[in-house]
Amino acid sequence: MTTVVLARAQWPTGDADAELPAVAGFIESAFSPLVAAVAERCLSSYFGDPPAALARGERTAIALATSTGDLATAAAVAAAVQAGRRVPPLLFYQSNPNAVAGYIAARWGLAGPVVCTMPGSATAEGQPGVGQANELTSQALAEAHASAALLIEDGDADAALVIAANAFLGGASFGTAELVGPSWWTSA
Amino acid sequence: MRSIGSRPDEPGAVQIAITGIGVSTAFGRGDSPLLDGLASGQPAFRPAARFDTSGCRTTMTAGLPGDPKLGVELAAVIEQACQRAELSAADRTEADFLLALHTDHDAARDPAATDVIGAVPAEISAATGLAYPARIYTTACVAGSTAAADAAAMISTGRTTRAIVAAGFLVDADSFRLFDAGRTLAVDGQVRPFSSGRKGMLLGDGLAAVVIESAQAASRRGVEVLALLAGWGRAGDAFHVVQPHPAGTGLARAIAAALDRGKVAPAEVGYINANGSGTTFADASEAAAIHRAFEVAADSVSVSSTKSLHGHALEASSLVELVVTVLALRAGLLPVNAGFLAADPACQLDLVLGASRQAKPRYALSLNAAFGGASTALLVATA
Repeated sequence: MTTVVLARAQWPTGDADAELPAVAGFIESAFSPLVAAVAERCLSSYFGDPPAALARGERTAIALATSTGDLATAAAVAAAVQAGRRVPPLLFYQSNPNAVAGYIAARWGLAGPVVCTMPGSATAEGQPGVGQANELTSQALAEAHASAALLIEDGDADAALVIAANAFLGGASFGTAELVGPSWWTSA
Repeated sequence: MRSIGSRPDEPGAVQIAITGIGVSTAFGRGDSPLLDGLASGQPAFRPAARFDTSGCRTTMTAGLPGDPKLGVELAAVIEQACQRAELSAADRTEADFLLALHTDHDAARDPAATDVIGAVPAEISAATGLAYPARIYTTACVAGSTAAADAAAMISTGRTTRAIVAAGFLVDADSFRLFDAGRTLAVDGQVRPFSSGRKGMLLGDGLAAVVIESAQAASRRGVEVLALLAGWGRAGDAFHVVQPHPAGTGLARAIAAALDRGKVAPAEVGYINANGSGTTFADASEAAAIHRAFEVAADSVSVSSTKSLHGHALEASSLVELVVTVLALRAGLLPVNAGFLAADPACQLDLVLGASRQAKPRYALSLNAAFGGASTALLVATA
């Protein structure tokens, strides 16, 4: 099946994108809000208001790839454990990337597979500058596309919300989301 | 249910063979200690010895002895699998390597960390001669099974002829206290899947590796096929951030896709290695999924969750359970669903209770479900 990119969104797109919108239930880390923000922009530009049309939503996968993973959540858990403090229960729910994928899937009615991956090759050497951060996010996007293409060719989905999200410990966050699907989905 | 994901018969369809397995659990290193543990039916849970559990609601985990290191233990199970599959050095470097991992304990403490996985993949490559993983799966409790399904798909779509899939998790203070904070750990120190009075899950060390290749490639190399990966399916619930759909809709579609790929009817499946975490809500959802996908055949399929014996190894659990399913089919032994107290009307299944059961089914399913509604089903057939 030939697929095309049906919609695309990024974070940040300009100076107005200084602060990621908070997502209820997610704390202390930019990672999940970043994923939610690019997903929301991408899906709303294609589907309008949530949820997605049933026949399309139920055959749409979520393929999320990240070079960083959720560093801030991991660090927050480790810091609480090392200090002998109680781990905040909300960190449990957001401790793996499936949680925000589930948030998107539930909100938009995307009932295809949920696959979260990290690209095999590239990791940053030290905290990356903007150029390297963009490059890593491009690699993550390519990885998410490869993951989605396999699901679609293999038959478990017709379309996929493809997301690349990198949230560096220094605070910079870069994300891209693309909806890929059959070329006939270009018409409603 | 069967219509979803259906496809025309493909006469030239590639058969997917499992030619190597390696595994370590609290029962020991290797598949023999695991099979012995499954046969004994005695859970491996003990008070945690490697980290402090003071102030937590339980102390129990299923841990490997000593102070295991993730990279070393993963390299060891990969070595087991590669040796079993009789892979040459060239075969190893040419194979696609897919790895499923949990957040790394050291990376979480490194202020200069640039990813949550840390040095483990590089340590494995150095120790085994494998290339750096082509992809790392972090999809929570379906990471390992998703990697195995993807490996099969990569082979059946002609992307590769052979993949090495590995997954590893060692219980540490971070994961233990995180799951304690989530109030998911069983305060009575036992995992009681599908039982009335179940209190939750317990964590366990788990490492597994599987060599997956086309049956044709295995035959060309003249190696033994341990089992066939006859079908696989992945789907989502579109329901909640962390909870499964109460009707098991995503898992039911994953099962239907796996059976459809294998062209196997529900009545032909003799055993289900269930996700069965021992959590009240999730076990009921899984029972609903089995009924939804199997319809009347749900009454005659034997079901157990071996998490009641070896614990929950998070990102690695689904690959450990694929190995368990292969071992069970080969040995003709359906492992017991331990910890059972009494029937729960929300989980009406033919559970393997009391002791492991002798049976030689042709087909078995390994089911897994995760946060975000992610669900997988792997259909294993005797070779």
